[in-house]
Amino acid sequence: MIATPDANARWRRMFLILGGILVAYALLAPLTSLEAAQSANVPLLADRLWFRIATYIAMFIVLASAWNIIGGIAGYAAFGNVAFFGIGAYTTGMLIAKAKWPFLAALPLAPVVAAAFAAVVGLPLLRLRGHYFAVASLGVGVAVGELVQNIDYAGQPVFGGATGLFLPIYSIENRGLFFFYLMVLAAALAVAVTWLVLRSRFGYGLIAIRENEEAAAVIGVNTTAYKVAAFTLAAALTGLTGGIFSQWNVFINQDNTFPIEYNVQMILMALLGGTGTVFGPAAGAVLLQLLIQFLGGTLPISFEIPFVSENARPIVAQVILGVLLVVVVLFVPRGVIEFFGGRARFSLAYLRRSLRETSL
Amino acid sequence: MSATAAPQLELRSVTKRFGGVAAVDGVTFEVREGEIVGIIGPNGAGKTTLLNCISGIHRLDGGDIRWRGDSISGMPPHRIARLGIGRTFQIVRPFGSMTVRENAAVGALFGSADARRRPREAFELADHVLELVGLEAKARHPVSALTIPDRKRLEVARAVATRPRLLLLDEVMAGLNNVEIDAALEMVETVHATGVTVLLIEHVMRVIVGVCRRAIVLDFGQVLAEGEPESVLRDERVIQAYLGERYAKRRRTDPGRDGP
Amino acid sequence: MADFVQLVVLGLLAGGIYVAVGVGFGLVWGVLNIVNLTHGALVIVGGYITWMLFAGLHLDPFLSLPVDAVALFLLGYTLQRGVINRIIRAPLLFTFLLTFGLNLVIVNTLLLLFGSDFRSVTPAYSGQGLELGTIVIPYVPLTALGVAIMLAVVLGLVLNRTRIGLAINAIASDRDAAQLVGIDLRHLYAMTYGIGAACAGVAGGLIAMIQAITPTAGEPYTLQAFVVVILGGLGRVSATVAGGLLFGLVEAFGQSIPGSGSVFANAIAFGLMVIVLVTRPQGLMGRLR
Repeated sequence: MIATPDANARWRRMFLILGGILVAYALLAPLTSLEAAQSANVPLLADRLWFRIATYIAMFIVLASAWNIIGGIAGYAAFGNVAFFGIGAYTTGMLIAKAKWPFLAALPLAPVVAAAFAAVVGLPLLRLRGHYFAVASLGVGVAVGELVQNIDYAGQPVFGGATGLFLPIYSIENRGLFFFYLMVLAAALAVAVTWLVLRSRFGYGLIAIRENEEAAAVIGVNTTAYKVAAFTLAAALTGLTGGIFSQWNVFINQDNTFPIEYNVQMILMALLGGTGTVFGPAAGAVLLQLLIQFLGGTLPISFEIPFVSENARPIVAQVILGVLLVVVVLFVPRGVIEFFGGRARFSLAYLRRSLRETSL
Repeated sequence: MSATAAPQLELRSVTKRFGGVAAVDGVTFEVREGEIVGIIGPNGAGKTTLLNCISGIHRLDGGDIRWRGDSISGMPPHRIARLGIGRTFQIVRPFGSMTVRENAAVGALFGSADARRRPREAFELADHVLELVGLEAKARHPVSALTIPDRKRLEVARAVATRPRLLLLDEVMAGLNNVEIDAALEMVETVHATGVTVLLIEHVMRVIVGVCRRAIVLDFGQVLAEGEPESVLRDERVIQAYLGERYAKRRRTDPGRDGP
Repeated sequence: MADFVQLVVLGLLAGGIYVAVGVGFGLVWGVLNIVNLTHGALVIVGGYITWMLFAGLHLDPFLSLPVDAVALFLLGYTLQRGVINRIIRAPLLFTFLLTFGLNLVIVNTLLLLFGSDFRSVTPAYSGQGLELGTIVIPYVPLTALGVAIMLAVVLGLVLNRTRIGLAINAIASDRDAAQLVGIDLRHLYAMTYGIGAACAGVAGGLIAMIQAITPTAGEPYTLQAFVVVILGGLGRVSATVAGGLLFGLVEAFGQSIPGSGSVFANAIAFGLMVIVLVTRPQGLMGRLR
């Protein structure tokens, strides 16, 4: 079912224009909060709450795009990428809090340490395939988080233990803006890296591995090196955001740097937007993160869920998220962006067909 | 044996076991540059296992494989591919998410170490190779839109795009009808004419007789006979011992028909 | 020496729980080729049923185990028939995400129903144990170990001796061929998942007697079930039993390392799993599939 080319082109153009406007707005609106803008009576388009949400969105763009490199392009269903986020956060956090390094000197080490870790565990892990790789990587993610929280040396927790790690506040004017743009830079970097990968020999090699690893090997793809490289690249990008997060959030512990649900969220984002594409994971990140914030009630635009008290709301939000996950997986196995990307048109027939293809 | 330069490919007592069973058992032969050699044998004779040994997918349990005089035993598949040994799979393994042209281009992006190219040149080479195997009209199609014979062509195209000096073909004619076999034979000869040595595994006798100058008969993992295809196939011992009574009888009454 | 014996005893007792958690998970994985991330949630549902029957009707927790099994069988059958069957042919990522989504729904529904308080099932005999010299063997975990072994034996008998077991073995080895000989795949997939869920329910009942439970307490069990099945090897109930007991021992000895909490036990278990996966992917006593 291939839609007509001009209908596709129209969709595509509309989608790109709309996306462009949204991105431009998201990037420029925060500037209205600057004192200079306020004194010039520019209306305030974004308050601090919006910054925070927008920064989270940018963060998830990186996480989803990075996952896309190993999971979407190379086809290795990594379920423990959050380990790299945590390692990046703790690398920067430790250097700042314990070794008193300045933030900008400590940040570059976050991707380096995360990547080094990925290379070391990737060599054995990436020999596994399918379920085995997925769960083994999940196990690594869980184990690293627990180790970080619990390693003691001479009776003292090395990484702050269960109480976590407090960082000195980074003194810079318009801190919120600074971290927003820093995170946006990381997001732009992640998307650019994906774009480059998909256009390079490296990317074609990864896709070949995804489609058939043995066939890739016999045409000359060094499968081990490529897989480890993809894993390491994903880890570096993920670790970088972890590093930014640690200074932005000032406080890090196991709960906020190794949350298992991030693993699922980044995959769902990539899946929603379309795995293996350049912009898909980013679009999915925006969609899903907005939805999560909306359900959680942190967005200024909010809603009442009938029969649910304010306290139970986060739980109901989780239930809705779970149902949504189920529905998305059941009905849209190829990602939403594909409709805009021009390979298929969204219709009842499409939904019925994807159900038929995967069901017993 | 003439005393010229070392053969392109040389197998010395190659052995591969699965559990206690020797799928390939002390196989020795050589292939010279520019030849077309056929390996025939019934199902389970160890033909595909032998190809897997040469292309590095299986590790040898004994013996040695030499490429232009140097041992390649124990090398990973990608390094063997880079030396200039390309192969196809009996059950085709196209890269399903790519177009026909992209499949061939990936072969050109990788493959022989001295023939590696940048993406744009790889696509140019891909077009050239698709023309060679007769798939140029379907270059933009997704793989899923291809017929079985076309998928087999694509499998060959991807291997040829790696610019091999030796091409290992694993039953590329299996499942094709007579007309399709003729076309495929022509394709193999075209590829051979570009200077590629061909080692092909076949079940279909006509292929061996049609294009090979030399045939090696494999049975229970061992070389049973070797020589010109006609004489090998006329060898009563070969016919009786493992092509089976039925084929032997039929061949006496209806020469030239395909094998069982 | 007594310490060592005590550790072995504790390890085997803990292993009983892992056997109970592992057999259902291994069945679903081996037959349906699904890594069932809902498993831990199903375990905890079983735990809450036992708790409700104990707290509300003062029913002895061991007597509630059959109720757990039946209830979870029905829930599992419905989930597989209604939802999971529909994406069984999709790539593994999808079954992964789907079962994670179901897990989210179940866990949070439990949170809405029961809140996040710890619930424990404490019959009169819960604190008592058998004392052999310096070694103590608590009754409840000992009985739980017995129940777990019985569960495994019954499951093994069902799989090897009954019509339905034969059909399950047939779909495990070749789905399409099984269909050709007249096996109703949808029903049998649902039966298999239902049986797996029933095992999870029994495991949950046992767990509720040994530790206080909350709706989120099930998640570690999913991972542990995976490790257990890997250690033993996929495709045989007896292998899962061995894997579960081994996991319990590893955990007990890991926790006994001075200065380590339960954490190093986890790290050791996962490390062991990765080593087994890389060096012996079929598991310690599994057959290659």
